[in-house]
Amino acid sequence: MGEVIVVTSGKGGVGKTTTTANLGAGLATHGHRVVLVDADIGLRNLDVVLGLENRIVYDITDVTGGHCRLRQALIKDKRFEGLFLLPAAQTKDKTAVSPDQMKALCEELKQEFDYVIIDCPAGIEQGFRNAIAGADKAIVVTTPEVAAVRDADRIIGLLEAAELRDPRLIINRIRPRMVRHGDMMSIEDIIDILAIDLLGVVPEDEMVVISTNRGEPVVQDERSRSGQAYRNIVRRIKGEAVPMMNLDEGGFVSRFLRRMIGLS
Amino acid sequence: MDKGRENPQHRWLSFAGEPVDDNTILIQRTLRSGQKVHYDGNIVIIGDINPGAEVVATGNIIVMGAVRGVVHAGAGGNEKAMVLAFRLEPTQLRIAGHITRPPDGQSSKPEQPEVARIKNGVVTIEIFNGERQG
Repeated sequence: MGEVIVVTSGKGGVGKTTTTANLGAGLATHGHRVVLVDADIGLRNLDVVLGLENRIVYDITDVTGGHCRLRQALIKDKRFEGLFLLPAAQTKDKTAVSPDQMKALCEELKQEFDYVIIDCPAGIEQGFRNAIAGADKAIVVTTPEVAAVRDADRIIGLLEAAELRDPRLIINRIRPRMVRHGDMMSIEDIIDILAIDLLGVVPEDEMVVISTNRGEPVVQDERSRSGQAYRNIVRRIKGEAVPMMNLDEGGFVSRFLRRMIGLS
Repeated sequence: MDKGRENPQHRWLSFAGEPVDDNTILIQRTLRSGQKVHYDGNIVIIGDINPGAEVVATGNIIVMGAVRGVVHAGAGGNEKAMVLAFRLEPTQLRIAGHITRPPDGQSSKPEQPEVARIKNGVVTIEIFNGERQG
């Protein structure tokens, strides 16, 4: 039986959907059967990020409402063998699904898939409660901003209250140069407050914007650093011990210079 | 809570001739944003008080960890109440009717346990040196 992982953050715009898409694509390339569930009813995005928007016929509310069979609503991603999407409805709102229905849906998906990854909507209201209802594990996404970390902290408290213990953290969009200059929260600052296990750190990368707009997950881009970060996270989810990526990139010149003056 | 504790005559036990307040709760976890604890007595926390969390006690607040949220000791008006923490860097600190906040601009990272209490009508923060307060 598979496991249900909810990707959540509290704050919007920190990269829940991008993370969900990349983890799904990454796990599928390792040969797993993966289904991504878009729980953001009324504001669906996951289909767009995956480039599958034009293939939606049925959505999650059709399944929970009994208007179609689960199999009919699942969209197969042809680029990644074993990757499926259960899209959200766009013309309804969060009340169209109940936590009990989500629980039942997750149970059903778990029988068939190795990983069920739920893209949680922003906020702490019913959309959040629906998204976590059937989850076994949680991944909290944050960016190195005070407001995002504050919301992540709130979410971790709510997850604990819902008996979802030991969530793991992804720090997204970090800019090592700004951290070095003291203009951005560091990984240590964030862990100091949130005090949960770090699953990975994704550096800020223009390739994410490009790939998201194209509907192609960046995880398959061998050259990009964000793609490498997501590939590492995927292996950690599978249980491998992968060391944290060295974020102090710099260009060749700065690397060379730092070696010359004995800093590295 | 047992019956004896609710009886005011049992609230003060004697220990070496000093009154001992037994009305204290122990919280063994970190309080996260949005979480609030209110207690009629003293609060001891093993963990942190994160930004956005709130702890209110009519007595003292002792935190074996970092205080980053809002703390209010002596909430019933007890001016002798204090806040003691390993790392005292609150969003706002209140004792009885006094409301204080850290000075703007500078962010100080306390390296040692500190204690906040009212001295000569002003909330004063000092390094905690283990001496008995009061």
